[in-house]
Amino acid sequence: MTDAPLLLDCDILVGHDVTTGRWSRPERVQEVFAGTGISGGLVSSLRAVHFDVPSGNDEARVVAEGNGWTSCPVLDLRDPLGAERELDRLLSSERPAGIRLAPTAQAVEPSYPSFGHVARLVVAAGLTLFVEGDVRVVGPALRDLGARVVFLDTHFYYLGDFVLLARAEPGFHTSTRMLTGPDSLEIVAAEVGAGRLVFGTRTPFHETYSVLGRLLSSKLTPAEIAQVGSAFLTKLLEP
Amino acid sequence: MLIDVHAHWGPWFFSMEVGPIEVNLELMDRFGIDLQLVSSIEGIVYDAPAGNRALAEQLPADDRLRGMLVIDPRRLDEARTDLRDLVVGNSRWVGAKIHTEYSRTPIATPAMQAAIELTTEYGLPTLVHTWGDTVLDLADLAARVPESRLIAGHMGAGAWRQVPEAARRAGNLWFEPCWSAPDADRIRWILDRIGPTRLMFGTDATLIDPSVALGALTAAALTPTESEAVRWQNATTLFAL
Repeated sequence: MTDAPLLLDCDILVGHDVTTGRWSRPERVQEVFAGTGISGGLVSSLRAVHFDVPSGNDEARVVAEGNGWTSCPVLDLRDPLGAERELDRLLSSERPAGIRLAPTAQAVEPSYPSFGHVARLVVAAGLTLFVEGDVRVVGPALRDLGARVVFLDTHFYYLGDFVLLARAEPGFHTSTRMLTGPDSLEIVAAEVGAGRLVFGTRTPFHETYSVLGRLLSSKLTPAEIAQVGSAFLTKLLEP
Repeated sequence: MLIDVHAHWGPWFFSMEVGPIEVNLELMDRFGIDLQLVSSIEGIVYDAPAGNRALAEQLPADDRLRGMLVIDPRRLDEARTDLRDLVVGNSRWVGAKIHTEYSRTPIATPAMQAAIELTTEYGLPTLVHTWGDTVLDLADLAARVPESRLIAGHMGAGAWRQVPEAARRAGNLWFEPCWSAPDADRIRWILDRIGPTRLMFGTDATLIDPSVALGALTAAALTPTESEAVRWQNATTLFAL
């Protein structure tokens, strides 16, 4: 492994994972970060994903401010009209770092009118999308929008599909979380450049140590590892 | 000492280049794996006897490699032939592997029980792919074939909270936790409930990078006793390595 660079996680969650019954408390995220050397990252609220967007996004903002992290608000794909209002509310105060979408958790297919509408709103606002779901399904629905996207659930089984999408879409990126094959990160770097990789762990639900170990022991150059670890995410959050 | 009880050799149909045996050896070198128990991908996903024979030609490549004979429960006559031709009298083959999804043979079926009875007849510990609640089906099968020694590969993946119940149902069942998308804190949670004697290290290499399984062990903050048991002692005992 190389010496650990500055690490920022693009995929932190707090709140109740209603599918498993597990909870994420900020204190637990802090513990994991202390053990792994992660400095912070983008935090979203599961309250916003599953129940109520405004109060959930406010929760994420408070958690972020209290921990030196950055909040990543969620828009509800089940309520595109409410998403319009929530995005207006967010933009009327401090510019959000990005917007997280959870089509699978919200049972919204990318072919639904809501998905495309909300995605276009976010792109028009100049914000990066952080999108859950199968990249083979959600990726095609985000083509030809000029979107900056980080796919949070790209599994290495579908790495080829991501590469095909990324070749045509310079704004498409992927979290490293499930690129766990022995050559997954290296293939992305070789095919479309290491700049498409963004360190993401889904702390504290996913095994953070495994994602970190994969990155630090990869065959990317030390400079690339450092950039994947934080710099590429920071760049995506810029206006 | 580190023993990987769940590994493979051969190419996959995904967008990855991990087919040559040199990939196994390079990963063992990089991650300090002292012994690796490998089964043939060809044997798992396409043709068990052909894959087993192809693997037999690879095992001499490195002293750290041990063979896991792939059994297709639909082809037990050929499996018996493989056992006689490849395994009997050859200490490089140490166990059997059954992937119930690729062989389209659910664990709770008579065909699967017959397969386990066959590997038990030959004294082979048998690693069985478990996903979801099938880890409980494997526990029940282990209980029905009490002389068998079974390892729940992936220990049910997302159904890992079923492991204590599976361990309670059958004392002749062990657990191996490799998973490409591991939930946090599984290893610690399970060790605290079943103790260190039933869990052993596996990677799923060369499908999955060993850093993933090693990261899960790091997260578990193993005691020295747990570390020795999980990393090598349990495997040494079960597979007579």
